[in-house]
Amino acid sequence: MTTSFKLELRRGSVVVGKWKLGRYRVERLLGEGANGKVYLVQRDREWLAMKVGADAVDLQSEINVMKSLDKQKSHGAEPFLYDVDDLYGPDGREYSFYIMRYVRGTTLASYLKEQGAEWFPLVGLNLLGKLAKLHRAGWVFGDLKVENVMVADYGHVELVDYGGVTAVGKSIRQFTEIYDRGYWNSGPRSADPKYDLFSFAVLCIQLHEPKRLHALTKELLPQNRSMDELMEIAQGSAALKPVLGWLRRAMAGEFANASEGAEAWRVLLHRRETRRSASIPGWLKGLAATSGLLLAASIFWLVINIFL
Amino acid sequence: MKQILLITDGCSNVGMSPIVAAAHAKAEGINVNVVGVLDQGDVGELGAAEIEEIARAGGGLSRMVNMRQLSQTVQMMTRKTVVQTIQLAVQKELKHVLGNGSIEALPPEKRGEVVRVIDELGETSGLQVALLIDASASMKPKLAAVEEAIRDLMLSLQARQGKSEIAVFHFPGTRHGDDCIMDLAWTSHLNGVHSIFPKLQMGGTTPTGPAIMHVVEFYRQGQGQGSVHDYGAMGDYGRRGRQETDGMMGDYVV
Repeated sequence: MTTSFKLELRRGSVVVGKWKLGRYRVERLLGEGANGKVYLVQRDREWLAMKVGADAVDLQSEINVMKSLDKQKSHGAEPFLYDVDDLYGPDGREYSFYIMRYVRGTTLASYLKEQGAEWFPLVGLNLLGKLAKLHRAGWVFGDLKVENVMVADYGHVELVDYGGVTAVGKSIRQFTEIYDRGYWNSGPRSADPKYDLFSFAVLCIQLHEPKRLHALTKELLPQNRSMDELMEIAQGSAALKPVLGWLRRAMAGEFANASEGAEAWRVLLHRRETRRSASIPGWLKGLAATSGLLLAASIFWLVINIFL
Repeated sequence: MKQILLITDGCSNVGMSPIVAAAHAKAEGINVNVVGVLDQGDVGELGAAEIEEIARAGGGLSRMVNMRQLSQTVQMMTRKTVVQTIQLAVQKELKHVLGNGSIEALPPEKRGEVVRVIDELGETSGLQVALLIDASASMKPKLAAVEEAIRDLMLSLQARQGKSEIAVFHFPGTRHGDDCIMDLAWTSHLNGVHSIFPKLQMGGTTPTGPAIMHVVEFYRQGQGQGSVHDYGAMGDYGRRGRQETDGMMGDYVV
């Protein structure tokens, strides 16, 4: 459901907070979420992200979540929230906003496209690590999907959009149908760590077989949606072969939380088949063989020259 | 909290104005949300305007969606309306204390605590949603999507910590000239309910206004019987009624 949120902040315009008078120069739009827009802004040469909400109450409950996450953080860890205030839009209306740290990086899908699918196992592990931290603090991420995972250099992962983060035991605040356990008739829509692991499994399938997953949601009758149907797609993907067993266990709720899931994922990661199936292109193998031959030839030549 | 969720695809054409009926509902403390379901075409300018006005009169939200978005929309609308209902109640209290009822007028630090209370109440308060389905001929191809949306809504409500129930009505009732017929009495789970709309005969007029009044009356009777806090008995009654009529709900009218 899209909200009628028409606020547009122009590049170069300066936002001044109504209460605390913080000044932020707008650089560009970073993205649009379910309940607001995120801009890249600058304050004293520092790059930050600013989320402007369509609804003050809605945005505030997201802020509340981030505040409690900040409180639970260990000392020295970077905070989520830098500032919370209101601004006057170009239309004269007031909008709430908050300032958070800017996550430099690309979306998960484009990262794998640019850097290669061989990064997938490591990025997956890092993502599970992020989820594990949330789970340990008593939260569930809720709206885990490809768009909400940013990846920076060397597979460093950050979660964005905390609108779905829910305390364990409550109803999931925000979700996306195809990642939702309830949509697949595979469990309740309430927050427990297993909910995130189900979404994580769907995310793996979405990354490797997006077309088939999309087709499946179109052709299946609602009552026939099940994790078996998802597994069938996964089985058809060569890249997912090493993690098939893991995906099944995650969807069936066999991992109590993301730490357990990460532990099992790590074991897979260091198995030889996993590494091998992270497809080495043919020409590279050829190159390796050729250089091997060359090396052998040069050593032979050296040995002959020096010792004879 | 009480809500009526009207799912329709066009204009009412008989009986009392649905806008007046929605205002009645609001007066009884029932919020009216309206979803206009489009297929390929449009609900027309007239239909769109009516849908928006019903919701405004009923203190609820309105949205135009296609069938694929129906479940998501129904679920989010219900959730949003819960928050808004509680927000209104909290703002009333704030007005007593501060003289100004708007949450936006509070400084950001104070806002946090108020919103925390709103969220908590939104999760734990009792909630009843009466779904009112337009079953005129043009809705026929959309009924499967409607039924899915109802199941999906139940799934979301079951995840809440507070007691949540739904009831389902459709209109027009094709027999005896009834305006509206109950398909499902208050229930908090749909397990075992195979089909919500048994062999519907679609068609006839679109008495949206009288149908809304019918549901308002259903809510009022629930109160009159003193069963506001215990809908379980009423739910049983509804189920028994359905079995007796062998899957046909045509004769069962509250």
